[in-house]
Amino acid sequence: MNTKKKKNAAKTNPDTQSQAGNIAYRLKCAKTANGLSHFVMYGDVRKDKALL
Amino acid sequence: MKHMGMTAKGLHIWKNNGGSVIVDADSLFWAQVKGISQDSIFIPEDVLALYEKHREGLLKRMNDFRSSKELTAVYIDPTDRCNASCAYCYLPVKSRKSGRSMTDKELDFILIKLARYFKGNGRKQVIIFHASEPLLVKDIIFRAIKKYKNIFKFGLQTNALLLEKRDVDFLKENLVGVGVSLDSYRPSINQRQRPSGLQGSNFAGVVKALDWFDGYDGLNVIATVTKHNVKDLPGLVRFLHKKKVPCVLLNPVRFTRVSVPLLKPDENDFAKYFIQAVEKAVELTSGTGRKIIVGNFTNTILAIVAPQARRLMCDISPCGGGRCFFTITAAGEMVPCGEFSGMKGFSGGNIFRDGIDKAMRSPAFVSVRARRVEKIDECDRCVLRNICGAPCPAELHSRGDMYQKSVFCDFYKQVIQYAFKVIAQGKVKYLLRDDPLQDLKYEYNLQ
Repeated sequence: MNTKKKKNAAKTNPDTQSQAGNIAYRLKCAKTANGLSHFVMYGDVRKDKALL
Repeated sequence: MKHMGMTAKGLHIWKNNGGSVIVDADSLFWAQVKGISQDSIFIPEDVLALYEKHREGLLKRMNDFRSSKELTAVYIDPTDRCNASCAYCYLPVKSRKSGRSMTDKELDFILIKLARYFKGNGRKQVIIFHASEPLLVKDIIFRAIKKYKNIFKFGLQTNALLLEKRDVDFLKENLVGVGVSLDSYRPSINQRQRPSGLQGSNFAGVVKALDWFDGYDGLNVIATVTKHNVKDLPGLVRFLHKKKVPCVLLNPVRFTRVSVPLLKPDENDFAKYFIQAVEKAVELTSGTGRKIIVGNFTNTILAIVAPQARRLMCDISPCGGGRCFFTITAAGEMVPCGEFSGMKGFSGGNIFRDGIDKAMRSPAFVSVRARRVEKIDECDRCVLRNICGAPCPAELHSRGDMYQKSVFCDFYKQVIQYAFKVIAQGKVKYLLRDDPLQDLKYEYNLQ
């Protein structure tokens, strides 16, 4: 799929306005967890950073 | 969700749950929209504007996150020996039966060396006592926890066969994170997967331990999913919720050893029962007010809504092995991850002789860090590649080549599709622990 083509088309087509119910969001954490461990969440007993 | 013949770059549209999902595989920008089809060349204007505004920042943070080499955890296997004979264990049978154990002095040497290495780092690293069964050398690890608890955070992965009430008190008192292995709520199924000369299996020991832990925040239960226990996943969640366990991980069996593929669950079955288990967890959490999360599903949710907040480093590419963590075996070998234990060519040196920096620079560690999902055929064309990460390099290396897609590729795709559905339903709050929810802030929000 040609992204550039899509972008141009979308910008000029009024029918592509977002409808109610469309969702797009991103959450940001203060400090990257950077994988405290690979399959368990150790070290989270104190409420430092318990991201899971 | 694939684009044949070329690397998937830019925005792609795929049908999901009656709507469409627009995803940029590299920055992990996504939007769920209604009223456009996979063949459409149109994207809603405000979604496109949002993408153009944030794309570069998202991409930079993803690249930084994926290329970071900050060690945050070190796994220590204080003994090679084990008192169980799990059918799927990735460690060589010989070493589990007659392998060596660290001495008190050796463990002390390692922890001093690690403390020096991390000094001034500002973050408390996590030391995890791990496979085979660390409680076989309970005395030395408990002494180490006591001595170094102000320098490191500690974790312990155990089958609970040797766990006593006073040990649980000690672990709680010293705020040790504890992972307990249990594969089913049915003793017979658990015994089939995790037989042991002691008590037949660890079922009774785990149940006793869960009662002693009594809802301890630092507790999680890990189940390894095979064809034998796959149908038990929802029941296991129900059982563990009753036991006040706050987190369960339902991990696919790894094919690191030759005979294990025979245990592979059907991927459609796995996805079906895994999703049922997540739904059971949401139902119990919302119905009772006491939360239980399926940790590896939560990590998938985080990979979508807050990629840099994810914890489990198996489902990112490059994975966390030799990058965010590494493993020290009982003989002192430094390997990128425990899954590489006993595999030729993956030692980064020996902690008793060599430096940690040297291990991090070693060809063994570099080779694991170099495995990026974009270099894998088929994954390079998949828009979900940076959500699943195509685990696991050790498993795939043992099957001939680490540069191939995950053996559970279809399972991951189904689970990720479900994750988008759950996000659209606004159920994320039931899937993350409460405290971190307060730490996460919207970077943007189109809703």
